[in-house]
Order: sequence, then structure tokens, then C-alpha cells
Amino acid sequence: MKQAIYGLILFTFLALPPVANLLESIMIMHMHMQMPLLVFAGFLIARFFQLKFPQFFERWNANGVPGMLLFLIIWLYWMVPRAMDEALTSPFMELFKFFSLTFLAGIALRDSWKKLGNIEFSIMYIFFTLKFIIMGYLYLAIEDQICNNYLIIEQKTLGWGSLAMAVCFVIFGFYWHFTDQSEYQKVDL
Amino acid sequence: MEQTLKETKRQNPKKLLGVNTEDAKVALSYFTVAFVSLLLGGILGLLQGLERADLIQLPSWLNYYQVLTAHGLLLLVVFTATFTIGYQFANLSHSFGGLLPKVRKLAWIGFGLMVFGVALVTVMIILNEASVLYTFYPPLAAHPLFYVGLVFVVVGIWACCFGVFINYRHWRKNHRGQVTPLLAYFAMGVFVLWFFASIGVTIEVLTLIPWSMGLVETTNVMVARTLFWWFGHTLVNIWYLVATSAWYVIVPKIIGGRHFNEKLIRLVVILIVVLNIPGGFHHQIIDPAISTSIKFLHVFMSLSIAVPSLMTAFAMFFVFERTGRKLGGKGLLGWLKKLPWGDVRFLAPMIAMISFIPGGAGGIVNTSNQLNQVVHNTMWVVGHFHVTVGMSVVLTFFGICYWLIPYLSKRQLTPKMNKIGVIQTIVWTVGMTIMAGSMHIAGLFGDPRRTSDTSYGGHEVAASWISYELIFGIGATILLVGVLIQVYAVFNMMFFAPKGETEFPVAEPEDNAAPVPLWTERWGLWIVLLLAVVAMAYVVPIVDMILNAPPGSPPIRTW
Ligand code: HEM
Ligand SMILES: [Cu+2]
Repeated sequence: MKQAIYGLILFTFLALPPVANLLESIMIMHMHMQMPLLVFAGFLIARFFQLKFPQFFERWNANGVPGMLLFLIIWLYWMVPRAMDEALTSPFMELFKFFSLTFLAGIALRDSWKKLGNIEFSIMYIFFTLKFIIMGYLYLAIEDQICNNYLIIEQKTLGWGSLAMAVCFVIFGFYWHFTDQSEYQKVDL
Repeated sequence: MEQTLKETKRQNPKKLLGVNTEDAKVALSYFTVAFVSLLLGGILGLLQGLERADLIQLPSWLNYYQVLTAHGLLLLVVFTATFTIGYQFANLSHSFGGLLPKVRKLAWIGFGLMVFGVALVTVMIILNEASVLYTFYPPLAAHPLFYVGLVFVVVGIWACCFGVFINYRHWRKNHRGQVTPLLAYFAMGVFVLWFFASIGVTIEVLTLIPWSMGLVETTNVMVARTLFWWFGHTLVNIWYLVATSAWYVIVPKIIGGRHFNEKLIRLVVILIVVLNIPGGFHHQIIDPAISTSIKFLHVFMSLSIAVPSLMTAFAMFFVFERTGRKLGGKGLLGWLKKLPWGDVRFLAPMIAMISFIPGGAGGIVNTSNQLNQVVHNTMWVVGHFHVTVGMSVVLTFFGICYWLIPYLSKRQLTPKMNKIGVIQTIVWTVGMTIMAGSMHIAGLFGDPRRTSDTSYGGHEVAASWISYELIFGIGATILLVGVLIQVYAVFNMMFFAPKGETEFPVAEPEDNAAPVPLWTERWGLWIVLLLAVVAMAYVVPIVDMILNAPPGSPPIRTW
């Protein structure tokens, strides 16, 4: 429950106009900081809904796959340059961005997190790694300005930033795969 | 079986743990280099203080800028690095019951590389080929061999890093389901941070070598400065992590108490490791080529380090009060009187911690944009880091010497040596307070740092700070006395003190302490988080500096 309150505080903080304006003024901060933090806020707030409506989640998200799909669709939607542009120009879309990332994507992600099996989880992990690589490549390769609101140099920055995140994902993937996870489990002597 | 093992550990830790003789040699060799550097650096500090106060005139073959470069490098890099390695390897050896032979070999290789590198750097400074100050920013260009010397120092540090990583992995593999001893955990934090900190400066130096040789014509000054502070700022927090390892684990034992909740201590280590590197931007608040909004975002990064600092302050005073009360202290502050003020092993780190209060406050001033405009490149900054490094860190290091060196050399800390230590601590505190205090004030008047003559032909504005420069001369003289006492004490305890046993004071957890969660040992995760934070923080300014780069600068020699 405490978690949900922290999540709400984070959400409110991100929604403060100066904070939102600052983060949205830099393309990479918009995509790689504001949006993930909104999802994270929802991830924390989810605790409240999970405790309040356990049957709902049980019924609709028994194996975690529907939640993951919802998360994916919303996340990918906000990766579209057009969508980011609209959030900047239309207050309604901005509202929808805050709502959908926190209360749909964040909550769905939390509920699916523990339910997904190893294979599904690995698929998601590889999918996101590839997404970072492809996006990074695209943003670096494209010579045209693809957002009305951001200059080409911001696009290039986002490209490098995505590749850097991909590298982090790959390193972590190897670490996870090749270290013996049972080392971190308590053993009784 | 488990129960009896725990029992022996508690009652007679020496039976199980201990630095073995081979490892003690490693640590003592590093300490020898550290304190020789302190002596040389201290003498140079006094010389430049007196030159500034116009009390002496340095000869042309050893000018102020050579002295300043050597003072900065010998104390800031060589003294702190060699002390840290000696102390951390002793901790590791004690916690793991001895280093692996190959790790010890790596420590010796690191020692050789570092000594060679430092010798090369020093020779180039003395030959007046490298008056580039310890920050060696381009476009000031030193002789290529100066940078080559720096590479040797860094590679030496890497050898030590790999040694620690190998030993840590080895221990974890053989102790399934257990958490590493707290001091070894700190050592991991220190060397992980060191490894990633040094990557920035390595890239910088490798680009400066061909540039100073004339193989490439220009270099990107802004990128070089940014990479320097990636390292420089992180180095500061490496010392701080080393000092906190003593505050959290050693000091409670000395005062007869138990250490704070281990989970929180480990959380402090993790936060410092993960969040640290981007703090480097607070050294570039005045630099052009970084947009205001990015600078603003970075204020959060550097203030976020205040979180673990405040946690530490809270935790330490909690431990002091709890222990003081257990020893019978009454009333609001009565517990303070119960602390062993006459024991140098406590007094020195305690004053170090107290000086972290003004030091931290000054740091918040420096990292605030508008206030930084006032103090940037004035003597205020020099005053600031003599309080933080010169007191908070160095006094903690000095305090460690009084038990670690006799422990390693199998000698005793005699009551007389303890008294010498107490006197040294007081001399140092008085000297540093006078020197750093007057530096802060002179800085507010506008006295520039790194300038040999600041009288400006007797201009009246300059006259406002000249008298404070005489005061730093006095402080500097007292400090040199402190250096001499400390160096005497160190070598006396190393070679001449009476033979005997000395305690290696490691605090135990409270009896009812909660178990330490194993997830804190996931260094792979902390490292990936560190990399992600670095990537997010650096990508915007660096891409901007490179894609919008000015023509670049050729090497420049101003001397
Ligand atoms: C005997 C003790 C010491 C004395 C008398 C002393 C004195 C000084 C003086 C007078 C300056 C010159 C400032 C300027 O002209 O801009 C200076 C700079 C400096 N000191 Fe010290 N200091 C002492 C100890 C230390 C210690 C222990 C450290 C660090 C571990 C340290 C690190 C530095 C650094 C990094 C600089 C700046 C160099 C630069 O600006 O390039 N000093 N010190
Ligand atoms: Cu810093």
C-alpha cells in the first residue's frame, strides 16, 4: 500500500507543468525518462488495484499474457513519432499519454510481471532489446526530421541513447543467462 | 556446526580471520608510497602557500605552477589511491582469510605499474614539461610522456580492480547462500566504481597522447573536460566510500558498539555506486556548450548523492547515541561524554565526520547554479576541497593508520603513540580550519585560485584578500607540522614500535539483527544500472558537443 502512495507521488511530480515541460523539451528525456517513469509510477500504484480487485486481475490476466500485450500495445503506440508530436500539441493527447502509460501500461506490466513464465519473459526481453537496436539504427540512419517538435540532432541523440540502452540490455541478458541464479538463494546448512 | 562456527567468530575472530603476512607486505608497501607522497605533497603545499602570501619567492627552476601540479597529483591522486588500495586489500584479506595468490600477484603488478607511472609523471613536472595542473585540461598540453605516465597509473589501478573482482567471485562461488563480509562488500563497491570512473579519463588521455605528439592537429576541449570530470567527480566519491567503510564498520567497534542495520549500509553502497558518475557535470556549471536545461537536470543527479550522505549521517549518530547510552550516558547529550575521545582511532574519524557537515553544505553551494557563479575558480573552491578531502577523508585515513599499520607489522599501538596521534589530529584540525576557513573567505572576495601572484599591482580590490593569504600561510605552516608528525607516526608504527598484537576492529551486527538480503550481492545488476544511468546522462551533452563541435584546439603551452 505504501508503494501505491509512492507511485502516486511520483505520478503527481511528473505531471507538474514545469517538470513535464522540462522533460518534454528534450526528445530523449521525453521518450527514455518521462515515459518509463510514468510506467514505473503505474507499476507502484498497481499494488492498490491488485489488493482492491483481486478477482478482476484473476479473471482477465490469469497467465499474464493479456496484461503483457496491453502493455506492449500502449508502449509501442507511444514510440511512434507522430504520437509524441501529438502529445506535445494537443492537451487531450497529453492527458491520454499520462493516463495510458501509468494506469493501463504500468498496472498491466506489474500484474503480468510475476505471472509470466520464463519463456514468455525471455521473449519479451529479447523483443525489447531488438526494439532498442532497430530504433537506434533507424534514428541514426534517417536523414529527415521525423518529429515536428524536435530537431534532427535530438533524433540522433535518441538514436545513440537507444543503442546504449540496447547494450545495457544485452549485458544484463548475458549476466542473467550465464550466472548461476541459485547462488543468490538462501541455503540452509 | 553453524552455531559453533558463529560462536568462534564472535569470541575469537583472530582464529578464523586475519591478514596473512604476504598480504600485509602488499598493504604496507602501498602505505609507504602513500606517506612518502604525503610528505612531498605537504612540503609543496606549504611552498605554494608561502609564495602566494608573498613570503617567499620560488626559484625559476621550480615555479609555482610546477609545484601546484605536483601538489595536486601527489596528494589527490597518488596519496589517496595508494592508501585506498593498501587499506582495501588489507580489509579483503582479513575478511576472506587471505588473498588468492594470483590476486596478490595482481596487486604487486599494479604496484609496479603505478610507481613507474608516478615516477614518469613527476619527472616530466620537474623538467617543466607538464605544468598543466592536476586536471590536465586541454588546450594546455604537456609532454606526451606525462600522459603516458598517467596511463600506467590507470592500468595499475585496473590490475588491482581485477584482483578484487577475481577474489570476490572466488569467495562467492565457495560460499553459496551466504553474504560477503561487510568490509569485502565495501571493497567491491570501491573497485567497481574505480573501474568505471577510470574509463572516462582513459579515453581522454588516449586522445591527448597523439594530439600532444602532433599526430593529430586539434582536440575537442569540451569532450575532454567532460570525460575528465566523469572520472574526477567519481574519484571524490570513491574516497568517500572508502571513508564510510571505516565509519560504518570500524568506528562502532572502537567505541564498543555494534554496527548499523546492514541492509541499509549496503543500500548506501549501491546508491553511491549506481548514481555517482553523472555528478561530474556539477564541475562544469560555468562551461559553455551544455544547455541550461541539461545543467538543471544534473542538479538532481548531484543532489541525489546527498541522500546516501544523509542516511550515513543519521546512521552514525544513531550508533553513537545507542552506544553512549548503553555505556551509561544520561540526558539529552550525556551519551556524547561516554565516547572515547582520547582514543585517536575514534577521535580522528569523528572529527572527519563532523567536518563533513560544513563540507557537505559547501558542496550544496557549489552545485547551485547561481552560487557557483560567485565562487567558481576562486579560493573558495580550494577551501572547500581542503575541508572535504583534506579533513573528512584524510583524517579518516590517518585514524585508520593507528590500528591497521601496527596490526599489519605485528606491533603495538602504545599509549604514547596514541597521544601523538591525538596531538596530530588536533594540529591538523586547527591548521586545516585556519587554512580552509581563510581560503573560503578570500574566495568570496574574488581571490582567484591557481594564480601565483594575486596582488594585481596593489589594486585595492586585491588588497581585500591579501591579508587572508597571510592567514593561509599560517594554516599551511601548522599543517606541515601535522604532516611531519603523521609521517613519523606511520613509519614508527611500521618499523620501530614494540612487537605485539593489535586488534583489527570489525563491528558485529546487533544480536537481533535481521538477515542480510542476498540480492544486495547482485553486482551484475548494479553495474548495468550504473551503465544505464551513465548512458542517459551523457548521451545528450556528448552528442551535442561532437555533432556541433567547434574547430577544435591545437596544443598550447603557456609556460
Ligand atoms: C600540508 C597540507 C596542505 C597544504 C599546506 C595545502 C595547501 C594548498 C595550497 C596553498 C593550494 C593552492 C591553491 C591555489 O593556489 O590555487 C593547494 C591546492 C590544492 N590542494 Fe592542498 N594543501 C594541503 C593538503 C592537501 C591534501 C591532503 C590534499 C588532497 C588529498 C590537497 C589537495 C589539493 C588540490 C587538489 C589542490 C588544487 C590544485 C590545483 O588547483 O591544481 N591538499 N593546497
Ligand atoms: Cu563533484
